[in-house]
Amino acid sequence: MTTDVATTHVGARTRRLRGDAFLTGRARYVGDIRPAGTLHLAILRSPHAHARIRHVDLDAARELPGVVAVLDGVGAAELADPLPHFVDPATFGGRSVDVRCLALGEVSYAGQPVAAVAAESIHDAEAALAAIGVDYEVLPHVLDAVEALEPGAPRAYADWPDNVVLAGSYTEGDVDEELAASEHVLTTTMTIQRYSQQPMETRGYIGTWDEQTQRMTLHGSCQNPHPLRAVLATALRLGEEQVHVVVPDVGGAFGLKMHGHAEEPLVCVMSRLTGRPVRWTERRSDCLLIGGREQHHTVTVGFEADGTVRALRDDLVANVGALGAAPGWGMAYLTALAFPTGYAIRTVDARFRIVATNKSPWNASRGYGKEATNLMMERVMDLVARELGLDPAEVRHRNLIPDDAFPYKTTAGLNIDSGQYHLALDRVLELVDEPAVRREQRDQPMDATVRTGLGIAFELTPEAGGTPGTLVGGFDTSTVRMAPSGQVTVLTGVTTPGGGNDTGIAQIVADRLGLSPADISIVQGDTDRCPYGFGNFSGRSMVVGGSASALAADDIAERLRAVAAAMLGGDADDVVLRDGRAWCGDRSLPVEDVARTVYSEAFGVADAVTPALESTRVYKPDNLTFVPDDRGRPQTYPTYSYAVHVAIVDVDVETGITSLRRFGVVHDCGTIINPTLVEGQMHGAVAMGVGAALMESIVHGDDGRLVTDRLKRYLMPRAGDLPDIEIEHLVTPSPFTLLGAKGAGEAGVGGALSAVVGAVDDALAPLGVTLDRLPLTPPTVLEAIHAAAVERPHA
Amino acid sequence: MIARPFRHERPTDLDAALAVLADAGTGARVLGGGTLLVPEMVAGECAPTHVLDLGRLGLDPVRLEGGDVVLAATATYADVLVHPAVAAEAPLLAAMAAGVTGGVQLLNAATLAGSACQAAPGSDAPGTLVALDARMRLASTAGVREVAAQDFFVDAFRTALQPHELLLEIAVPCTGGRSSGYVKLKHSASSWPIATSACLLSVDGSRVRVAIGAAGPVPVVLETDAEPGAAFVAAEVASLLEVTWDDVLADAAYRRRVAPVAARRALEKAGLTP
Repeated sequence: MTTDVATTHVGARTRRLRGDAFLTGRARYVGDIRPAGTLHLAILRSPHAHARIRHVDLDAARELPGVVAVLDGVGAAELADPLPHFVDPATFGGRSVDVRCLALGEVSYAGQPVAAVAAESIHDAEAALAAIGVDYEVLPHVLDAVEALEPGAPRAYADWPDNVVLAGSYTEGDVDEELAASEHVLTTTMTIQRYSQQPMETRGYIGTWDEQTQRMTLHGSCQNPHPLRAVLATALRLGEEQVHVVVPDVGGAFGLKMHGHAEEPLVCVMSRLTGRPVRWTERRSDCLLIGGREQHHTVTVGFEADGTVRALRDDLVANVGALGAAPGWGMAYLTALAFPTGYAIRTVDARFRIVATNKSPWNASRGYGKEATNLMMERVMDLVARELGLDPAEVRHRNLIPDDAFPYKTTAGLNIDSGQYHLALDRVLELVDEPAVRREQRDQPMDATVRTGLGIAFELTPEAGGTPGTLVGGFDTSTVRMAPSGQVTVLTGVTTPGGGNDTGIAQIVADRLGLSPADISIVQGDTDRCPYGFGNFSGRSMVVGGSASALAADDIAERLRAVAAAMLGGDADDVVLRDGRAWCGDRSLPVEDVARTVYSEAFGVADAVTPALESTRVYKPDNLTFVPDDRGRPQTYPTYSYAVHVAIVDVDVETGITSLRRFGVVHDCGTIINPTLVEGQMHGAVAMGVGAALMESIVHGDDGRLVTDRLKRYLMPRAGDLPDIEIEHLVTPSPFTLLGAKGAGEAGVGGALSAVVGAVDDALAPLGVTLDRLPLTPPTVLEAIHAAAVERPHA
Repeated sequence: MIARPFRHERPTDLDAALAVLADAGTGARVLGGGTLLVPEMVAGECAPTHVLDLGRLGLDPVRLEGGDVVLAATATYADVLVHPAVAAEAPLLAAMAAGVTGGVQLLNAATLAGSACQAAPGSDAPGTLVALDARMRLASTAGVREVAAQDFFVDAFRTALQPHELLLEIAVPCTGGRSSGYVKLKHSASSWPIATSACLLSVDGSRVRVAIGAAGPVPVVLETDAEPGAAFVAAEVASLLEVTWDDVLADAAYRRRVAPVAARRALEKAGLTP
């Protein structure tokens, strides 16, 4: 249902709106907002992974210079209620906990906020923390999810009967029967480390209580201002309209800034207590507390001699740490839902057990669990190929959904819209000259110090999702306004985390109004100004925010055309808006003259139209339904981008060091609004996936305290670790979204992760190496090489 | 954010600087470039009462003096990299400096002496200073004493420096064009070194000195005939590494495995194929 609009700007490499502001330091982040009289907040965090709080002594801290207010969990509970969960496990039949801004009674992870100080300077606030005395009764703790499942294991929460948050499966067909009937069966395991995302700008909030108007304003680096407003209203015992959330420029989010963090209500509570604005800025060590993605998988597949996979069972155990109110835990649920990605396997059992431990909580991370599904499916394809001695690309061709099968419903009930999976696979192999790499590999002697590997990964990314019973709404709203001057403002419920979706929206609106993107102002992230929306996640900004803006702009265009027709003496259907003018044949008028006429001649030449150059429209994509199908499954994603990635690595077998030599990706996100923005998203996501494969790892000590508390311990890829990322686009528009767009913000992590892991595995396969844990740091790789040498001394 | 107040001392002459150390004792920390000290203070890992800033002492960062390249306490890695005396007379030192992680901002601030005083096992400078048989000049109000680099590094994060002493200079004997090689193993661009190896041929070309850094708490040294066999090097390095360093980036087993590889590759780089 793509609409017929001339696309001057959609599809072009339009330069970023306000790019100059970002380049010259005029962008305004939350750290740049400095209200007079602001107090600074410091947080005392639990040193224990699990303990009962017997008593907190705040008296000494209260007396210190600069200290204005001090609060513990008991005091905070008098002023605030628990934070509503972003996605409550109880909604899905799981266990839940109350998440408070300061711990009340029990701490369930090292790093949990226990007390807070608001002071005149951050120095005073931090110094006062040392004067707070906390009497803890230390309780047994558990850090490993598999251990946490054993009978008699310590419990992460003292009053839980066990440590399972939620368990279930997505099943179709009889897996046992199909496995028994398969010519070959193999089982493999993979332990995925805990890792996250580290935006350049960490989180930060300023809470400002206005006693006169009885309103709370939160300036914050956030992804979902409207839902956060509701959460704050509940936690702070205010009406929703008493809370105003403002999101200024954001320096990266990736899921980290979805709501549910203790500090969001905490700055507000402290502002109400002191009557002054209160700021908190996240330190890198705080940011590294927030985890994600830690899973252990056991996968069994049955397959035929030609490589066709008949049945698959995946059993995943996810260690989500202590439960937070943020949506992190849900990633594990999505991992199971996304099986078997884009492969036409009809007998699948994807089981999940989501386990609480005394590690710090998760938040969402780009890929939202679907990256792990991609990893496991690509492991399967590689291992099937190896077992059969087939080309890994051939095995993928054998199993990928054929072009004529779309829309294709997966075993978990996801209805995949469209794609050319086989073409993408062929194109990416050509892009990186795969045959040349294979020749090079054949020429490498068995005792070569450096071994070359090539890894292929098909990546499916369900995008723009909505979840029943939550404020993950799946739709969004935009208002388009044209002033009498002809200037256009778009107010939208989607926000930008820094990636530039405002530019994309401006391109869409500009095409529909015959203007230039530079003529369009975009307003996002202000709950008093923008229509209700769900913000930024799940690659949704163009799919829903862009579409809602297009619909609203079309309403304006229709009125402009009618008035222009009256002014030019023609038929509205013949009026075209182009190059800033309304054209009727060879006669034309500037759009601004038409706009002015709508306002000034409402009872004259413009009498035929409702004199409002303003429209608010909601866009609900097709192919998204909360009504369960005949097997009880909702269809929670309207559209599915995909990509095929190839990584080429050199592994030094004496040191275990992997160098990424070349990286290519053929990507299809449907209609492209701006290739530069899409490529920017892909570059970042590939870097994230490479980091996941090779180095990023959040480590807790045996005592449950964070070890990787800085970026010299939590290693991330730098420019020097990455080759040029070679991208080609395929465009298979979604038949189910207004613009044919499929979303581009989420894809790339899982593909890059899987391709790099596959490439290292490919390089070391001749040595008999089995990779079963991530990340593939040099010690992990070298240990695997040595283990293989011990096992197969003659290899 | 540094929570604890401290005195920032920035004297203009050496006597005044040494007096600060004499008075403040263990409460003082010396600030060269600050790239290690300031993050430690921000993290609350140390809380000095006095910070002695060497920035206004006016020390000549690099000079040639009686057969030595002398590097002052304030010599940055950038000084090491650009000074022709280092390139000509201590190319091994320049090779080490060229591999320091952190980009131009770090190279322009971080000092060689600061890195030596930190004595972090997973770092670049100690192994190379030991390979070069550098002499560390320690100054106090009582005078200046010299300690060989090998004796300067006592243990992980521990040196021969007393609380009232300043590492004033590092004297590196001129090596001219003698064969040398430097290899650093690290995980990725931002990683600390996991194992370093620096080797230098003797004046008469008959012996080679190999220092392995980052693999143990302090550098270890192997002196052997030039062109030793690979198996010999591997066995010697393994036996020298009685204690192996272990941290979140790499465990002891890994360092033990790769240290001999680094040693062999440094010898290969020096043209001394073992």
